[in-house]
Amino acid sequence: MRRSHEPIAWSLFGAGGMLLAFFGPGLVLTTALLPWLAAGDPQAAHAAIGALLAHPLGKVLVLACIALPLFHTLHRIYHGLHDLHLQAPRLPMQLLCYGGATLLSAISAWWLLLV
Amino acid sequence: MRKPYVQRQRADWWLRNPAYRRYMLREATALPLLLYALLLMSGLYQFTRGEAAFLAWLALLRSPWLLALHGLALAAAQYHAVTWIALVPKILVIDSDRLRVSPATVQRVHQLGAVTCNAGLLVLALLLLRAAGGY
Repeated sequence: MRRSHEPIAWSLFGAGGMLLAFFGPGLVLTTALLPWLAAGDPQAAHAAIGALLAHPLGKVLVLACIALPLFHTLHRIYHGLHDLHLQAPRLPMQLLCYGGATLLSAISAWWLLLV
Repeated sequence: MRKPYVQRQRADWWLRNPAYRRYMLREATALPLLLYALLLMSGLYQFTRGEAAFLAWLALLRSPWLLALHGLALAAAQYHAVTWIALVPKILVIDSDRLRVSPATVQRVHQLGAVTCNAGLLVLALLLLRAAGGY
């Protein structure tokens, strides 16, 4: 029998769910307020975010905040479409959801390396 | 020949039962959170293009549509957090001879942890931006 991809998908889904539960609301509130928080000195705010993105640990944290929610949400959407009886061939849907999350994560990692 | 029995289910099965509706609402939190992750990606991309592009992105965040997305994502993240942590004691069962923790305690500790982490992240961001702005 062919091995299932489900354990990998579920691990990333679980990690994303934990991250979103423990840091999601705080992160959304932070970026929602960001234009006003940075209004006093936008250049300084840009420099502060640049310092975060320049640090290796900062890159890892930012990548986690983008990649894990991508895997989490696309896993839920993949199974949610099944729940809604929106039938689609399994393999293309898996490629679209998990492949899409992988591709977008890789692009984000590339951008983080450019900073 | 295999003749599997297929249980018939209407596509609107989840509309009839409040518990199923709550389940679908929980799963639907993924939609605004996906858009939010893409918004974060767009910010990262604009940052790679330079300061002017990033400041333009920052100004774009004030638009009503993106504020609405933030509001929706905030509500989704909160509903996700509450429902996610409600499931933790079902998965994390601490019940051995050496250590026994009640499910209610496991849930309480995770709730406290989530509130602390979220508030901590917000306070940290406020302090860092305040220090950067020099005021």
